[in-house]
Amino acid sequence: MSIGFACAVSHAPGIVAWRDAAPVEQRDRLYAGFEALRSRMEAARLDEIVLFTCEHWTNFFLDHISPFCIGRADKYMGPVEPWLKIAKTEIAGDPELATAMLEHCYAHDLEPGFAFEMELDHGTIIPLHFLTPEFGLPIVPVVFNTLAAPQPSVRRAFAFGRALGEVVRRSPRRIGLIATGGMSHDPGERNHGAIDEALDREFLAAMSAGDVERITRWTTREFAAAGAGTIELLSWVALAGALGRFRGEVVAYEPVKPWATGMGLMWLEEHGA
Amino acid sequence: MSAYTLQKAIRNINRRPEARADFESAPESFAARYELSQEEKAALLARDYGALYRLGVHGLLLRPFSLLSAVPEADYLAAIRKDA
Repeated sequence: MSIGFACAVSHAPGIVAWRDAAPVEQRDRLYAGFEALRSRMEAARLDEIVLFTCEHWTNFFLDHISPFCIGRADKYMGPVEPWLKIAKTEIAGDPELATAMLEHCYAHDLEPGFAFEMELDHGTIIPLHFLTPEFGLPIVPVVFNTLAAPQPSVRRAFAFGRALGEVVRRSPRRIGLIATGGMSHDPGERNHGAIDEALDREFLAAMSAGDVERITRWTTREFAAAGAGTIELLSWVALAGALGRFRGEVVAYEPVKPWATGMGLMWLEEHGA
Repeated sequence: MSAYTLQKAIRNINRRPEARADFESAPESFAARYELSQEEKAALLARDYGALYRLGVHGLLLRPFSLLSAVPEADYLAAIRKDA
């Protein structure tokens, strides 16, 4: 079976928590873009969602960092942020799929970490809020370490994504893949507010073309040079790995200064899907 | 990444309501529970965001910490952009 649905989206908290700070045209284009993705996702009639995501010191701190961490919980609560303006909710997990993903990875010499409990922050809740507002589909969150160096390499994120794509494709269930994070941003740091539009557009172009050679030529150092938060694009790289041969469509891209982030929304599909 | 213990203290304040309550009600005794240098302890107790930033606190720990005191974004950025 093919992958049921795939998209990649930014999750800057401003899009919900201080939405009116953004220029109205930019905000409206992003909201329209999310609505277009929500509608396509609904039409895909998915059974569940795997998210390639990251977090912001919510569950994991420097006392223990895994480069990749697969959620094995049977349910997740989120968001943890009281200021996010999204009500706390419980979302079902899928421990069986998570275990299948882990076993496949370990059999192929990839060893992600795993967690039987995790709370969700804006990084995971914001995409779900826009794409599945009822939070009705079970999820498996796959968390990438984007916060503490050394982060996994772009090559490894791609290989890890490819392994997970193999599991998703083998499943009889209709599974959607959402990558979230990025694009260029440097939150809470001295260059907060700086957006590298050139890098964002080049990355979007490579994803649109399914240009795996270009995508995997980037390095986490290059992402970091565009802002620490840009390293979150590792989740998009993993999605490229999962899809294999693919093309994409930029649904919206807006460099939103008041949200301090280059906001990108893409829809992607495997070739011959 | 440096400043492990200082970041751990701030992360606990951000993430755990009891730690935040302890820090806000009895900051000196909260700080004493962590092995902090004099400089780190002083910066934490003073909520000196510039000093904390220079001491190596990650932006995604420091900005949420400043939000607990409702520091506006412009003021936070001015503080961390100042050299000592």
